[in-house]
Amino acid sequence: MSALRAPLDRFVARYHANQALVTEQRGWTCAIVLAAEDTAEQIALRVEHGRVIAVGDAGGQPDLIVTGPSAMLVEILELRQDPSEPYMFGELTVQGEERHFTRLDYVVTSLYPES
Amino acid sequence: MSMTMPSTLAATDAPAPTRAARAGVVTLTLTASGTAMASVCAVGLLQMEQLVGGVWSVAAIVIAGALCGIIAVALGRLSSVIPSGAGLLAYFSRGLNRRAATLLMISYLFVMLLLVGVEAVIVGVLTAELTPLPSLAGAMVFLGVTWLVCLRGIHVGYRSQAVTTVALFTCLVALSIGAIVSAAQRGDVASRLWTAPPSAIAMLAAIGQAIFLMMGFELVTSHAEVAAPRAVGRALWLSVGVLVVFYSVIALGLASLTTLPRLDADHLIVPQLALAAQSGHGAVMAVVVICLLASFTSFNGALLGISLFSRALARQGVLPRSLSRVDPHTMTARPALHALFAVTAVFTLVTYALTIYQAAILSAAIVTAGVYGAVLWTRERPPFREPTRRRTRALASTTAAAGFAALGLGVFVDAGAARGTLAVLLLVILGVAMVAALRIRAARSEARPS
Repeated sequence: MSALRAPLDRFVARYHANQALVTEQRGWTCAIVLAAEDTAEQIALRVEHGRVIAVGDAGGQPDLIVTGPSAMLVEILELRQDPSEPYMFGELTVQGEERHFTRLDYVVTSLYPES
Repeated sequence: MSMTMPSTLAATDAPAPTRAARAGVVTLTLTASGTAMASVCAVGLLQMEQLVGGVWSVAAIVIAGALCGIIAVALGRLSSVIPSGAGLLAYFSRGLNRRAATLLMISYLFVMLLLVGVEAVIVGVLTAELTPLPSLAGAMVFLGVTWLVCLRGIHVGYRSQAVTTVALFTCLVALSIGAIVSAAQRGDVASRLWTAPPSAIAMLAAIGQAIFLMMGFELVTSHAEVAAPRAVGRALWLSVGVLVVFYSVIALGLASLTTLPRLDADHLIVPQLALAAQSGHGAVMAVVVICLLASFTSFNGALLGISLFSRALARQGVLPRSLSRVDPHTMTARPALHALFAVTAVFTLVTYALTIYQAAILSAAIVTAGVYGAVLWTRERPPFREPTRRRTRALASTTAAAGFAALGLGVFVDAGAARGTLAVLLLVILGVAMVAALRIRAARSEARPS
């Protein structure tokens, strides 16, 4: 039973609904894995030219791995938690190039209600 | 919350490594060393030379290096448990709590910005060797150019940093060896290097100042996200070795000069120029160009890194919210960069107008000693402490943490004429850090008893 899939689908839908934000990311192509450290669940999404073209099981080498407790990842995907807070305080870690992480952070925080 | 979850995924079910080009040990070692090798460090070396002199400066550097070696090993552990770009803030937050982490890191950030001000003034003095610009104008132009480059989202890469670090190391070490050889040819090398033993408190202060020379090497932990496995840990202690060799040779070179420039609380001397002057105009020009390049790469990395950190603090409500905006094209935190440019320009002006160079350097030494002590303290707490760790090791680590506090105290006690300014500066730093710490939201797990 995936805890991350439904929140991720809702997140992607919200993102695609924001056409201006998607257009801003048109040069961005990235393979991302979300990894829940407490449940060992992993889910991947592939972004091409700013649009998410695939969501599913992790496979192959990603460009970016985002790791955190499952509940926290769900909170972030549901836009109830600002990702910069757990990142700063070491509860959320990423592996991969800064340009991908900065872009992902920008997308999430742009969708965040307080932005 | 942090007490109950596994420390990292890497320890359990690691996902496939990313396909990003990974920074290796050599690259990270050069990055860590380059971050610490600021122009202002030569001023710190001159202070040490006046405090203890000759081989005693080298002894202080070696002892500080050994202590920083302990820090390097501890940081390697912290970085392997939480491989986060947030670095020290993340470690302190998980090992202590968010408020203590914020207090420590804002203090550290403050002295870093203060040192950017001192470094900018030094850059101004160096620029005056090449151009007709007055030193203050040169400092401001340099800050402005670096700021504009950062606004374009241009980040100096690992390769450029490595080349600059190697050039700086080679140039200053060669000039220092030249100065030692000249002293040997004059027949007074022994009298210049074998000076009378300093007092215990002077030696303690010199070790504290030598720790300031290493300041910045620990920031390589923030490269954990793009580093090869275990590369950060190795780079940390290798960079300490590089820095010990670098500073020891320069200390001996400075001690060998026929006329050592005299530093006091009111005047800024750039010792690199004194070293280079022994070898002629060409050497002076080479030192100026290399130091300018090194300062540029340091400023570039510092401004971009601190702007992202400021942006994150703004999102937490510690700084004004307007600083949290990011430019979608360059992915830079432009409002934070503007604010940082303003702050560093003010710090440069204040440092220049009030001539508080010595107090700025000593405050950095004291704060760094405090942060390093906190690293050792954090290493002995969950989630970093291994269940099987021996009590004797934990005790040694805690004792070393107390030793860093003693070094900080030694620097304050032996500050001489700069002590009054230093006390004011430390109070301002502590006040700013405490306000920030009080504004930070406690984690949910910290806010309620478990």
